[in-house]
Amino acid sequence: MSGGRMLVLVRKELWSYLVNPVSYVILFLLNLYRGADVYNLVLGFRDGGDADLFAIGYLNVSSTLTAVVLLPPLLTMKAFAEEKRTGTFELLVTAPIQDHEIVLGKWLASWLFYGLLWLPSMLVLVVLQAPWFLGVGLPFGPLFTAYLGLFLLGSLLLAVGLFFSSLTDNQLLASLASILFGVGIFAFAPLLQRGVVDVDSDFLSVLADQLLVRNHLRLWFFRGLIDTGHLVFYVSTTALLLFLTVRSVEARKWR
Amino acid sequence: MIEVEALVKDYGGLRAVDRLSFEVAEGEIVGFLGPNGAGKTTTIRVLTGYHAATSGRAVVAGHDVFTDSLASRRLLSYLPENVPLYPDLRVEEYLRFRAALKGVPRRERRAAVALAMEQAGVVEVRRKLCNQVSRGYRQRVGLADALVSAPPILILDEPTSGLDPIQRGRIRTLVRSLAGRHTVLFSSHILSDVEEVCDRIVLIHEGVKRADGTLAELATQLGRREVRVEVAADGDRVRALFDGLDGLGAPELDAERGGFVLARGPLAPGVEAGPVLDALAARLRGGDLAFRQVHLHEPSLEEMFASLTSGARVEEDAA
Repeated sequence: MSGGRMLVLVRKELWSYLVNPVSYVILFLLNLYRGADVYNLVLGFRDGGDADLFAIGYLNVSSTLTAVVLLPPLLTMKAFAEEKRTGTFELLVTAPIQDHEIVLGKWLASWLFYGLLWLPSMLVLVVLQAPWFLGVGLPFGPLFTAYLGLFLLGSLLLAVGLFFSSLTDNQLLASLASILFGVGIFAFAPLLQRGVVDVDSDFLSVLADQLLVRNHLRLWFFRGLIDTGHLVFYVSTTALLLFLTVRSVEARKWR
Repeated sequence: MIEVEALVKDYGGLRAVDRLSFEVAEGEIVGFLGPNGAGKTTTIRVLTGYHAATSGRAVVAGHDVFTDSLASRRLLSYLPENVPLYPDLRVEEYLRFRAALKGVPRRERRAAVALAMEQAGVVEVRRKLCNQVSRGYRQRVGLADALVSAPPILILDEPTSGLDPIQRGRIRTLVRSLAGRHTVLFSSHILSDVEEVCDRIVLIHEGVKRADGTLAELATQLGRREVRVEVAADGDRVRALFDGLDGLGAPELDAERGGFVLARGPLAPGVEAGPVLDALAARLRGGDLAFRQVHLHEPSLEEMFASLTSGARVEEDAA
């Protein structure tokens, strides 16, 4: 019964994404920028590239990496901040639904919509393989793991976005904080890694490696490799962030 | 159905609700009255599980609102003061979502939403987006939401604020019609609404309960009834008129108005007014005095409200 109420919330949240014009602007821009990158890839392939390299490079382009960092904050910034600003938050948490169901419901809806945003890029893959286009079969493995990496990192960053959204009633602030977080683990972790090379500490280098989400994508997921350590990292950090979000939603009680 | 026991809620260093206790019986409509900032909304937020109490206890339909919050929330509907709605949903969609969230079974949902829209009078705006309906409709959509799961308990926070008199009248009639079938806690600072809608009043001020009872009980408790006589006579003769009547105190005299003096004598609590008025009338006739009025003035809710929110607290809580 309680899971049913979570699904009610998922449906409503998905509906809100679908009727929001901003969603379509995001969808359009994402695929426009990806289109430019894919166009270059196709040109490269026609110059005698091979299908394996094409598959590895398909998501390993700057537009995709930028989108991975930018999309989750945009999708989650409203989640709690807007509800707090308009007051619907009070209606939601006093309805017969538990705080963790609210957080999970909102996260699941944002994750599903995030998946929906990547759907066109998957359809493009089908078109690319058509005989009248590239006419080659692309290897399934690296493409599957690439999307897996994208969705795993997405689930973490969506949880981060939800967490920041739950801290404030200002969605701009929420999105800025989660963009900074995303950019931080993406761009600054390499600096950290360079810093600890000299320190010769196993612990620090393992930590830096775990935080290097860009390397997880580029060196592992995009190349068709799955490291269970990475899976554990994404699942556990996502769970941790969702747990923190539940605590943050509960914090209203103790104000 | 609602029991509040020695409830305390602090915000930082500020005590918003201070050892508040009251009860609402099944089927009763209780007015929860107090000036702005009295602690009404805070109390309601504890009852609905939005806030946790600092100390004390609140029980809704037998379920502790803190330890058994979900069970208590299943049995109550809450309409917050400014009626927040999701702007991107249409009225009917919104009510369907709320019905589902409140656990109305799927096959009953359509009928439940239709009934709630009918009751609250929002059928004509069902296809409008929630952010496009007027203030009055917004309030009624909120009421439809509160009614859609037919909950035994309704908690309405200022449901008539910001509405014009006609819209307020409609909402009062609607709430009044819920008596018996639903238990209602009706928070307001609009006295005439409370007077018309509620069986009983709980009045709080600065987080402390100042009064609890029916209007008649409050009038008697407060003992501010007075007998008023407007008569053409000088002060001594007027005082003599009031002298020696059981339960009637010495009058205060108002300045002369065209030869007439208005005398206001306090009537002790519990004393029946009829015989006193008859005796006064007899004396006026006997003295052959010209008079304009002889009547009992009972305190209005406004007057009680004003005296309670400035005076000392009712002592029943002090022990």
